[in-house]
Amino acid sequence: MTGVLEARNIVKTFIVRREGKPHELRAVGDVSLSVAPGEIVGLVGESGSGKTTVSRIMIGIERATSGTVTYNGKPVETRADWRALRRSVQYVFQDPFTALCPTMRIGDALAEPLIIHNMCPRGEVPGRVTKMLETVGLHPDVARRMPNQLSGGQRQRVNLARALMLEPKALICDEIVSGLDVSIQAQVLRLLVELQERLGLSLIFISHDLRIVRYLSSRVLVMYLGQIVEQGPTEAVFDNPQHDYTRALLAAIPDHSRVLAGAA
Amino acid sequence: MPCALNVENLSIRFSGRDGDIAVVDDVSFRLEAGESLVIAGESGSGKSMVCQALLGIVPKAAKVSGTRIDWNGRDLLATTGEAWRAVRGAEIAMIFQDPTAALNPLITVEHQITDAIRAHRKCTKDEARARTIEVLGMAGFPELEHRMKSYPSELSGGLRQRVAIALALSCAPSLIIADEATTNLDVSIQAQIVTLLRRLKDQLGLALIFVTHDLGLAAEIGGKLMVMYAGHAVEQGPVLDVLADPCHPYTHGLLRSAPTLKSSRTNPLQPIPGQAPKPGSIGKGSPFRSRCPVVVGGVCAATRAGWTSAGEDHQVACHRFALDGREGVR
Repeated sequence: MTGVLEARNIVKTFIVRREGKPHELRAVGDVSLSVAPGEIVGLVGESGSGKTTVSRIMIGIERATSGTVTYNGKPVETRADWRALRRSVQYVFQDPFTALCPTMRIGDALAEPLIIHNMCPRGEVPGRVTKMLETVGLHPDVARRMPNQLSGGQRQRVNLARALMLEPKALICDEIVSGLDVSIQAQVLRLLVELQERLGLSLIFISHDLRIVRYLSSRVLVMYLGQIVEQGPTEAVFDNPQHDYTRALLAAIPDHSRVLAGAA
Repeated sequence: MPCALNVENLSIRFSGRDGDIAVVDDVSFRLEAGESLVIAGESGSGKSMVCQALLGIVPKAAKVSGTRIDWNGRDLLATTGEAWRAVRGAEIAMIFQDPTAALNPLITVEHQITDAIRAHRKCTKDEARARTIEVLGMAGFPELEHRMKSYPSELSGGLRQRVAIALALSCAPSLIIADEATTNLDVSIQAQIVTLLRRLKDQLGLALIFVTHDLGLAAEIGGKLMVMYAGHAVEQGPVLDVLADPCHPYTHGLLRSAPTLKSSRTNPLQPIPGQAPKPGSIGKGSPFRSRCPVVVGGVCAATRAGWTSAGEDHQVACHRFALDGREGVR
């Protein structure tokens, strides 16, 4: 199977100083990951497992120590390659409060990617912004607002809208719903499903909440200490986990369906 | 039966341009020693304000009123100023969401706790140190003798939260309030902390108030559950009864929007439409009426529903439930 976006044998070591001496810290050790067109892949693991580092490498925010990233089957190597990749693969960050420039109106924040990548004539920009706000379920008036005038859920929609402005093929979402209230979280999850079905988006969905990953993704990878310890179709991994760590992670999820089933 | 904590008709208001705005409106509950109460609700539901009122740490501008907050014979509503010191920390302790902010970054773990002990009771340094070792042990802090000399920045989030728990236990309180105490932690650490809190409650006969927005966690904690929405308690009862048999349309809505380990896209999540009302915009009617799928025309906008019994100790404040029962709110 060829993926839209693929990471092959990614290794990342950071040099940290411990007691004054440089020290190698292996954050990611030999991880391969791919996402097919229209597929939602869940990447789960606890903090420090390296899931964010892998995803940042896949979009070029971080450089891998070794290993390759391929896009549409071609290795991404030169600056021009990365630039092309960043036009079609977008990243949605965890914290909707720090991801938006506080002094920029929402409309300008959404227009910026179009202008940077020279995607359309200047005259069409406002129209596209309005359309995108509607796509993510926000009122077009939001374009005139500042980030601090929006709620957390609204800001996360704006971030999603900004990532979608360039009509990307793939989206990397790093814990994008973990800070949201459940009823808002459900709204954003529904929106993601709708976008995937309607636009055929590929999604890498990073989360520590296995309940959300179970709901959203068709395939799941479990990371622990920089390694992928288990992967497979979501149903198989959740219903019949093979690795001890996956089992421990599943057992730790607070879940009322399980507690109620146990009490019955 | 003697009641450790009896909160009757607690309201918390802020002065607004057009009169007072209630962020907590007429909330009542009771809690015995050795019991746990989970307060569940989304941000802005007033659950943290209720906890702050029990410790007398509401913002200065807030006006706390009610019939009484009876705590072992003392009326907390009448408690002011220095008198709070006898209660706060000593009898009622709190574990906050962010252990990094709750601990002083400039002093060691050991001194965080000995300082608290020596502020509340007369004892020698050695006695305080002995108690510190005891409570850190209760909180499951590893490699005690060595690690208690570390600074908060040298510890992981899970360990810091264990220090915060030890700090809460240090003066042997009879009530511990945990306000989203596990929200920032990894799932496996969260599970450890929840098990720890449950064990401490049973071993020490503590009363526990656990505030969360996660219904899965509420089920794991057990005991009683109070669901809050926009400053109002809308449903209360034994946790498992409420989750297995929700009787308020808001509780239904929460359960339908929260994914579980059993959920899949063949049975899509159903978000509650709309947004929570702004504080002060609720008026006399039901707080949930603007998003409620089963509103009773004319009635929900005009009056607040009283409590209707939905089973043993299980109560719900909903006009629709009072009229049509379970079928009506489904």
